Amino acid sequence: MKVRARSRRWPWVVMGLSLAVAFTLSMVSPADSVQGDLVRIMYVHVPAAWLAYTAFFVTFVGSLAYLLTKNLRWDRVAAASAEIGVYFTGLALALGMIWAKPTWGVWWTWDARLTLTFIMFFVYLGYLALRRTTDDPIARASRAAVLGVLGAIQIPIVHFSVVWWRTLHQPPSLIRPDGPAIQDPLMLTALIVGVVAFTIVYAALMVKRIELIHLEERRLAVERSIERPVAGEAVTVPQLGGAL
Amino acid sequence: MSDWGWVAFAYGVAYGSLGLYAASIVVRIRNNRRSIGDYE
Repeated sequence: MKVRARSRRWPWVVMGLSLAVAFTLSMVSPADSVQGDLVRIMYVHVPAAWLAYTAFFVTFVGSLAYLLTKNLRWDRVAAASAEIGVYFTGLALALGMIWAKPTWGVWWTWDARLTLTFIMFFVYLGYLALRRTTDDPIARASRAAVLGVLGAIQIPIVHFSVVWWRTLHQPPSLIRPDGPAIQDPLMLTALIVGVVAFTIVYAALMVKRIELIHLEERRLAVERSIERPVAGEAVTVPQLGGAL
Repeated sequence: MSDWGWVAFAYGVAYGSLGLYAASIVVRIRNNRRSIGDYE
């Protein structure tokens, strides 16, 4: 396994630039006629939720590809994406709560969308925990891949929960049969740029997270290759010659 | 808290946590590289 001499820095630069552009647009866009300035929270909440779906979909693709090919490369993709997906799901939940308090008057309500997202967050936390139950890469990849495929069933359920059930959470803002719900071009641009910027952030994090997985595997291989004395060899025979 | 206060709170959480997550990856990469270097 080859380890690069230097860690790549360009993903951090790209990530920083994307976030700077998204932040600037979200601050200069106008306030909403109903929500006021609180609408700006949507420019980070919606991209975070979008990335949660995207990351778990990539985990699904990686898991399915692993089960079909048994190539560990796909397992690395699935694992990296799952961790990033858990981060973005947690972020979407936190930002939703921060928006809900001044808008709905409560931090949390057991609405269908919120509850299902909460469950999805814990299912993928379970996925990450499952990966830590064994050091055997084949067993770990196989077990995780099954959960990675099954867990993806939640993605459409979470997304369409606001359509299928009567919920307090508003319907989708961008992906709707009758077009985006936002009419103001600057607000729509801020939201789309936010989604694109966060997608670039996801790609940058994936590059670095996969680099980390390679390094972890390399470290484990090096540690295992070092000969350590077993208990019997470590015990030295008493040297009694000098005393007698 | 004013609307802008909530917005600042949300952006602090979003950008702050992203920075922390990125930093955790950097630290883990550095630690693994150091461990590999120590062994080799």
